[in-house]
Amino acid sequence: MKPWQRWLAVGLTVAVLTHLLTVWALPRLIMREAMARITDETATQARAQARAQGAPQAATGVYLPPPTDHTQRRIVMPSPDLLYATCTLDLSKGPMRVTAEVAHPRYWSVALYGANSDNFFVVNERSAAAQRLDLWVVPPGADRSAMNAERGSTVVDAPSRKVLLLMRLLLTDDPADLALAKASRSTLRCDASAL
Amino acid sequence: MTSRRRVVVAWVATVTAGALLGVGSAWLWLTRTDPAGTRIGPWLVNLEAGSTDASLYTRARIALKALLALDRRETLYYIAQQDDAGRPLRSRCRYLISGSIPAARWWSVTAYADDLFLFPDAEQRYSVSGETTLNTVGRFSAFTGPETPVSGAIKWLPTPGDRGLILTLRLYNPSPEVQADPGALAVPSIQRQGECP
Repeated sequence: MKPWQRWLAVGLTVAVLTHLLTVWALPRLIMREAMARITDETATQARAQARAQGAPQAATGVYLPPPTDHTQRRIVMPSPDLLYATCTLDLSKGPMRVTAEVAHPRYWSVALYGANSDNFFVVNERSAAAQRLDLWVVPPGADRSAMNAERGSTVVDAPSRKVLLLMRLLLTDDPADLALAKASRSTLRCDASAL
Repeated sequence: MTSRRRVVVAWVATVTAGALLGVGSAWLWLTRTDPAGTRIGPWLVNLEAGSTDASLYTRARIALKALLALDRRETLYYIAQQDDAGRPLRSRCRYLISGSIPAARWWSVTAYADDLFLFPDAEQRYSVSGETTLNTVGRFSAFTGPETPVSGAIKWLPTPGDRGLILTLRLYNPSPEVQADPGALAVPSIQRQGECP
């Protein structure tokens, strides 16, 4: 092997490795950024609410974004036909319970995303029992005996300790939908195990 | 330069060049090439979106272009960046989107600018959608374009400016047939109306 061939081989090896590393890391970095933003928004909204009410509000851990319009420029391809609610779950201290009482007459779903951006779980109003959501999200390798999951709650194994939850509620041309969707999403609790 | 120093410089240069090539090629590959998927007319549907089975490249592409997509059992996303004739979609052109009601519990077609965000519209006309039951027979149509169409009977999605246009067809809880074979969907047609120099 001539010296220039050796250098070329080194350069190409580095190129292949960084190429793969970039493709691997990109969704994880984008998710980390999205989760950090949601955590910030949640805190900001909670503070604003406390100011408006004149007293600290019980923490729901949930961010309730305004109805989607063209000023939403944070998460790509937002659907204007859906009202969203979102939160991040930090499972480093163990399983977390997520609950909601949804009285939305149209499609709704709650989806969970791992740190690598995969959608590892989704439940919609057809599969949820009686419009009631009760999830225990369990980190990898967790001690399941430590949680007292009630009967009827769904236990979901998360692939990572950081999880993003996204609730979608369908809005139609019927203006009553928005009020119902807002009422339903406000029942979402992302740290219900602490209650 | 001592020979030792020359070797160090050569190493640094080689590794830097390799790393730049690696990152650059990854970026170009993810942003400039068509994602893997099934093409049906002007539409492209990616079956691995949101899936835990997604390949390395699909996952990265979805994170860049459709973060927080749902997996195919819940939602199928068909994305069009060209019309029926294969011409790239432009916001300054006028298009008629029409088709049969897709077999899904709920569907929508949304117009996005090429940055993947909604076009500004004070009246919030961003999408055409319908709540349907499975196996409903019917058709829908909508216009996109920068100016109000003459006929007010058909829903219009304003796409101001001159930039790339992306149409996304969402199928929430698609019928089992479509879910099993998303390529079998009778996709809406996208026809350019009139000249668009």
